[in-house]
Amino acid sequence: MSYTLRGRIESRLTALLPVLLGACAAAAALRHWWPVELVLLMGAIGVALDLQLWHRVLPYQPAWASLLLGATELGAVLAVVYGFGLHAPLGAGLALFGTGWLVAFLLGQAAFPWLRLDYAEGGGELGRAGLVALAGIGLALVGSGAAWYARRPPVVHLAAGVHQGPLVLSRRMNLVGAPGAVVRGGIVVRHDDVHVKNVTVVGGVNGITVAGVHGTVLDGVTVTGAKLDGIHVRMADVLIRNCSVDMLGNPLGQGIDISYNMDMGMSMVEHCTVTGGMQGIATHSSMTEVMDNTVSRTTQLGIDMTEMSMGSVMDNEVRDALGVGIQCNDRSMCMIERNSVVGTRADAASGDPSRGGVGLLASFQSEAYVRDNRLAANPVPSSTVTDSIIRPYDWEP
Amino acid sequence: MARVALVGSGLAGFSVYQTLRRGGLEPSEIAVFGTDADPAATWRVRAGAIRQQRMRSESDGHCRAQTFPGLAFRSAARRRSPLPLLASAVDRYHPTVDEFLADVERLRARSGWDESVRLARVDRVRPVDGGFELGGGVFAHVLLATGHPGLNVPEELRGDPRVVHSYEPHEYARSVTVVGAGLAAATEWLNALAAGAEVVSVRRREPLRRPLNVPREYFSRRGLAAFHRLGAQERAARLRALLAPSYPPSRHWDAPLERAAREGRFRVEAAVNGSEQVICATGFLRGVEHDPLLAELVAEHGLATADGWLVLAPDSTVPELTDATRTLAVAGAPAAWSFPAADTLMGAKYAAHGFLRKVQACPTR
Repeated sequence: MSYTLRGRIESRLTALLPVLLGACAAAAALRHWWPVELVLLMGAIGVALDLQLWHRVLPYQPAWASLLLGATELGAVLAVVYGFGLHAPLGAGLALFGTGWLVAFLLGQAAFPWLRLDYAEGGGELGRAGLVALAGIGLALVGSGAAWYARRPPVVHLAAGVHQGPLVLSRRMNLVGAPGAVVRGGIVVRHDDVHVKNVTVVGGVNGITVAGVHGTVLDGVTVTGAKLDGIHVRMADVLIRNCSVDMLGNPLGQGIDISYNMDMGMSMVEHCTVTGGMQGIATHSSMTEVMDNTVSRTTQLGIDMTEMSMGSVMDNEVRDALGVGIQCNDRSMCMIERNSVVGTRADAASGDPSRGGVGLLASFQSEAYVRDNRLAANPVPSSTVTDSIIRPYDWEP
Repeated sequence: MARVALVGSGLAGFSVYQTLRRGGLEPSEIAVFGTDADPAATWRVRAGAIRQQRMRSESDGHCRAQTFPGLAFRSAARRRSPLPLLASAVDRYHPTVDEFLADVERLRARSGWDESVRLARVDRVRPVDGGFELGGGVFAHVLLATGHPGLNVPEELRGDPRVVHSYEPHEYARSVTVVGAGLAAATEWLNALAAGAEVVSVRRREPLRRPLNVPREYFSRRGLAAFHRLGAQERAARLRALLAPSYPPSRHWDAPLERAAREGRFRVEAAVNGSEQVICATGFLRGVEHDPLLAELVAEHGLATADGWLVLAPDSTVPELTDATRTLAVAGAPAAWSFPAADTLMGAKYAAHGFLRKVQACPTR
């Protein structure tokens, strides 16, 4: 098939229409937007590649090339999905993409040539049918946009003053605290797409608990006096930024603990200040980026990536930690870059030589790739134990 | 009462007929004028003469109106095997001549073709008010699919008793010279070698190697739009370049020739030598002057020509004799001005699509 540019785009978008309608139905059933977002992303990337690449390099496109184009576009879609943190489950997302590709292939190879006599010689142009399909896509987009607008999470304002908790958030919402708004007894997030902004939490078993949900954003929260963890995340993806967690006097809790969400995409902790606690920021079996945070006066570890975690620790400041400043542990893979670890103290009482005031520690078959870290006033700047490695970024075997 | 006439009952006319039927015309609305009710009669003789086993065209090289389902799909369904479809996906499916002819027979039987055929030679088409007079009637819409005007034998070989045209039935002598460089010539090289002959290839230029008659983009609007924008001289030059002799790149052709060359049984020479037999694989006469019906139309109505080609509108209609109430269109080899690969089945269908649009748009159809 030798597509004209118009024919290529008309065929693509017309083939996208049934997939988009299916995605709208799936979004309504699942009460999630990712199917629509993913299909729109597929269409946008496809059209962009049509304009910039495929039309130029493929004056003729044999049927087998659809596989190559599909694989390339899948790679681009996945890169954007992960790069921009679109909350699409991998398996379902792949299934949706595969369905879209198959529909496009069958329509392009069979249905369009069967329905339209001059489809091949017209270079894939669909005439009036193409315009109708484009109008259909426009309508679907307008409908989706209207539905999205109507279903935006409500904004709930938390007035200044003390509110007795625990506060359980069991529906989508943007909870915005007025200056001086305090929740005593903790916050529990139990629904997807909950945003909490500018709220102070005092006490609670955990200060803020996020479990089994998607799309949580904690922005500008302050946590003090939690009995266990300051911010406790389990099997959920979160974005935590501009937070302050005070764990002083709590010898066993973690300031921020993000665990067991490896299959839920990337999480992020940035621009937070954590003071005290056993571990400042800890991730277990997680893909998390820990960036631009300040962690100090912890009693076991400043920042810990452990239990097969993958992620980056970048531009953080860790001060006055007891035992270890930054640790990459238990078969984890860590990118550790431009951090400042200062004044780590030896934990003589532990009797553990690996806690002798180590600025940077890789342990138990972990791999840490490091660059431009400032390790100062630590009895042991860096160390590895139990088949672990610390390598520079540009290391090559 | 038929308002639509096709002049020519060969494969081009047959392909146009299938498109018209798919477009909603009944057999009684179409009159097909020709000298043989079998649409493949002429083509079958030529294919048989060069012992052609497989089509150069691919899955969509059939006479049906729609390109899908093609012959690969039908072959896969019949054989219950995905192999034809996989071969088609990589452009390696070429239906056998028998498959193609069987498909023609099926279409002929079910499309009402025989009901529309009028066995009569049309020597003249005369424009009249609201149509054209031909074959004893007046038709609003006429498509000329008169086919190739004759076999081309180079001037210097005419009258030579050793000469036979590749498209005429023939056997092979012990030493054979094949003149030409296209698909028929390549087929004849292999045929003569297989028959045990010593073969000399005489050609003016090295043959082009490409899968189809013309580059693939010229089968779609992608290549055609730019082609249609060319001026007359440029378009004629482009046509000469596009229609230069070619045959597909494949070991199927190369391996036997290389083997025969090593054995001293195949060589290329500049001129015809003393071979016992000279086979002219030099195609067909080209130029509107060789087709009496078209030549008369050109002469009587001052139709434009360029370098021997009849100048047509992009939809293969004759602009001087086409208006809102009547259509004169051309399909097959003489329609190259609008579609370079006009003498292929795709070319016939291209002309058919333009013709059908005119017929459907005509209020008095």
